[in-house]
Amino acid sequence: MTGAIAAQLVLSLRRQRTFLALLVTLLVMTALAGVIGWISHRTIIKVYDEAVTLLATTGTPAPPNPFDTKPTLALLSNMVIYIPLIGALMALVLGHLSMADDQSSGIGRLIFSRQVTRRSYVTGKMLGATTVLAIIMAASLLVSAVSLLIVNGALLSAPDLTRLVVFYLLSLLYLMAFALVGMVSVLLTRRRSMALLLALGVWLVLTFALPQFTSGLRPTASLNPITDPVSTSQTFFDVTAKARPISVSEQYKEASTRVLEIGTPESALATSWRVAPIGGLVLILAALTALLVRRHDYSRSSVNE
Amino acid sequence: MEEPAVQMQGVSHRYGTEPVLREINLTIEHGEIFGFLGHNGAGKTTAINILTTLLVPSAGKARVCGHDVVTARSKVTERIGYLPSDVRLYDHMTATENLEFFAKLSGVSDPRKAATETLAYLDSSDLGPRRMSTFSTGMRQRIGIAQAIVHQPSVLFLDEPTSGLDPSGVRQLRETILRLNGELGMTVFMNTHLLSEVSRVCTTIGVLNHGELIYKDSMAATTERFPDEASLEDIYERMEGRPA
Repeated sequence: MTGAIAAQLVLSLRRQRTFLALLVTLLVMTALAGVIGWISHRTIIKVYDEAVTLLATTGTPAPPNPFDTKPTLALLSNMVIYIPLIGALMALVLGHLSMADDQSSGIGRLIFSRQVTRRSYVTGKMLGATTVLAIIMAASLLVSAVSLLIVNGALLSAPDLTRLVVFYLLSLLYLMAFALVGMVSVLLTRRRSMALLLALGVWLVLTFALPQFTSGLRPTASLNPITDPVSTSQTFFDVTAKARPISVSEQYKEASTRVLEIGTPESALATSWRVAPIGGLVLILAALTALLVRRHDYSRSSVNE
Repeated sequence: MEEPAVQMQGVSHRYGTEPVLREINLTIEHGEIFGFLGHNGAGKTTAINILTTLLVPSAGKARVCGHDVVTARSKVTERIGYLPSDVRLYDHMTATENLEFFAKLSGVSDPRKAATETLAYLDSSDLGPRRMSTFSTGMRQRIGIAQAIVHQPSVLFLDEPTSGLDPSGVRQLRETILRLNGELGMTVFMNTHLLSEVSRVCTTIGVLNHGELIYKDSMAATTERFPDEASLEDIYERMEGRPA
């Protein structure tokens, strides 16, 4: 039963226009990430070359080219932004669509009048969602690898390819959290529109509000030559900084930049700790989804009769 | 001796503090076409929800083909087919894909063959490759019936199957029910408002009034008992205590 439910979800999503539009956008942005990285790289190299020429005329020794030591995967740095923006939105829609029909169209009544248990149903839905996201991440990985091949004119080395695979596995885990948010919101509300609004609200909080709260306020204030608008005291930032580990989007970005060798180097263990909150959130949401499906009254649309 | 197709013993159900079914005792033998009559909110759909294992009754025992709907759910679902009042299948999938999916959920060994054969049986093979989103209400109803019988159940539960159908659709549905009962031997349990259909199709009727079963007998005995009533509508109104 689990396999049949997962297969149905994969088949159905293949034909949902909203989902396909978001998927195409993500893949196009994945390709663009390499191109944008390459263009930025070329521009800076050009400026560096011009500076070296200028310095040579004055007899000043030129500093070393900073891009000589730049890792290959740094060209994909924009992916760390695209996944939380477009990827998470796509995962949210995926989770929403995977449950919404069964609930609002009453198909759930047909499913549970068959030999389907609540456990096999929810397992099937999660398996289907994970399969679809894994296929998308694999496609995105392929697009990234090809765009890097075109830009660099050489195949990725084995260590770089491994890092890229780890990055997309991490992204899969992160996106799974949003797919589960989409599912939970459907189970918590009676109307499809409310479910989508609730899911979008959670996405906004996790992607924008929480990262701003836990890390963005002080740097923004300190970057601008103005008086700190929030507080002159350290206490406020001490408190918000404590909440940083629960900001899964921030943790995802931090871990991803380490995996792609963009950020300040840190040990593998430290990076693993950044992944822990994301894994924890996925486990909590999966357990909540299972509980809600177990308790959900699929005969509810007929309550008045 | 064969167990009855449907048996309810003292079945009651309430939503919160609101009683919806009150100690229903009902037995339907195999091969019958049972028409369950009652006004809106009488509890007909709740009775079907209990018999199709979607709801656990607040009190009493319900059995389908001898199996308890609560303790032997899996054995019950093997033997039943169900068509809710508002048929909605997966719009993005074709009729055949929908039928294959529901056949798989019923443990059918060759879902594709079962889907094809069921569509052919209902003279609806032309609908197979089309997506559900392109269907009219009547077409959806035909595919709805197909999903309910794709695994060849013993008992078929139909909840207001004629709602939204035009006269031609109603006639087609009536013929289908009679074929399923006559050719495949399916017992049919049908909730309906259309009394004219009940008199043409059903072998037995039951009347539910505010959660209580106030009448149950064969169609023949009913017309014999109320010889002065012009139609089933009149009989129904007399049973409910309203002047005919």
